[in-house]
Amino acid sequence: MKKLIFALGIIFISASVQQTYAQCDTEKHVEACIPKLQSGFTFLKSYNIDGQSGAKDKVEYSYVFTKGATYQIMICNEGSGTDGIVLTLYDSNRNKVASTKYEGSTLSSIAFPCQVTGIYYITYTFEGSSNYCGGSVLGFKR
Amino acid sequence: MKNILLGLLIIITALACDSKKKPSADEISSVLDSVKIEEPSISEDVISDIIQQIPSPLEISTLLKESDTKYDNSYLNDPEKISDYNSNYKKALALGVYGTDLGYTNIYEQNQDALFYLNSIKSLADDLSIGQFFDIGTIKRLATNSKNLDSLLLITTKNFNNINSYLQEQKRSNLSILLLSGGWLEALYIVSRVSEKNPNNEQLKETIAEQKIIMDNVVLLMSFYKDNDPNINQLSNKFTKLQEEFNKIEIKTVYREPTYEVVDGMLVVKDNSTSEIIMDDENIEAIRNQVYAIRENIIN
Repeated sequence: MKKLIFALGIIFISASVQQTYAQCDTEKHVEACIPKLQSGFTFLKSYNIDGQSGAKDKVEYSYVFTKGATYQIMICNEGSGTDGIVLTLYDSNRNKVASTKYEGSTLSSIAFPCQVTGIYYITYTFEGSSNYCGGSVLGFKR
Repeated sequence: MKNILLGLLIIITALACDSKKKPSADEISSVLDSVKIEEPSISEDVISDIIQQIPSPLEISTLLKESDTKYDNSYLNDPEKISDYNSNYKKALALGVYGTDLGYTNIYEQNQDALFYLNSIKSLADDLSIGQFFDIGTIKRLATNSKNLDSLLLITTKNFNNINSYLQEQKRSNLSILLLSGGWLEALYIVSRVSEKNPNNEQLKETIAEQKIIMDNVVLLMSFYKDNDPNINQLSNKFTKLQEEFNKIEIKTVYREPTYEVVDGMLVVKDNSTSEIIMDDENIEAIRNQVYAIRENIIN
């Protein structure tokens, strides 16, 4: 009987853990985000923003941006706002290049005409987020 | 390590049995390919972080089109050559090469050529057990009409992104690295050829020089595998020589605070930083020659 309860306990815990992580469907947000790239931008990459219900305070990716190209990075999530997801772009020396938190409002998109080829860090943080979940896409144009 | 020694022992034994018949490079590659590769000591997350930094070859193809250089399929690898690639190592590299070639044909809206590359890509992907990412029917339908260019680019870009993620999840990052390296080198090869044909185009020379940053990443990725994978070790040695040529180029950057404006709800950055590339034509020629040699080795 003890073994049965133990086994059921493990199944229950596993199901709960799976359910917790299944809550953030980043793919859905990414798919919704791609058509929202401005006209003329070609899709390059998608990024999952899964703060695991607040367990993670930052999600970071990096990409080599090229001089002469303009990049658009867009955040998508449930509803029309950004749900507290803030995108900050840093250059290879970790100088802040831009943040969607700008003059008191939180925007959902950045356009960056790059003047210096190098590695750039795309960082997503959560400020008062309720879902800690979203998707983001990177596009470029010449 | 034992597996590698075993693989080498097989080759030596084969040679000893028939000393007159030397194994071809492909045969050696195939035997080494069958040796199980030990996982590198570095975490998959670190490898994944570096892999995803590498820019899409599409960016170079777009630059070429925007700089008014004409489409030329003689720059590309022959799509009929897939039967020459008979090891996972060769196939993964060739898949990267063909992926870049497909992007080049797509950007120039050369749909008929694109179909040839799609067939080769599908075949190689099937052989590497990653064919499930290509819905060839949909892709071919899109490729028959240049109005579908955006959708075609989107699908192929997504497919290659998904393949890279899948290979990493499957602990086959070594193939992911080969795919990316092949694709990056092919883009560098095409821009080198175009630059050679247009020697006064300084932007193309700068684009070649700026690949120094990606070169460092590619060599770093290979370094994680070269001790355990004899094929990657050989390739890494060639790339390291190319890196030595890139190291003769200096890129100086000056950071200045950006300025901003909001346009239609989007933050538009004005990047005030600048960079200067210190190089001469000899540097570019040396890089070009190395690229041609490595590419020749990869595709043949």
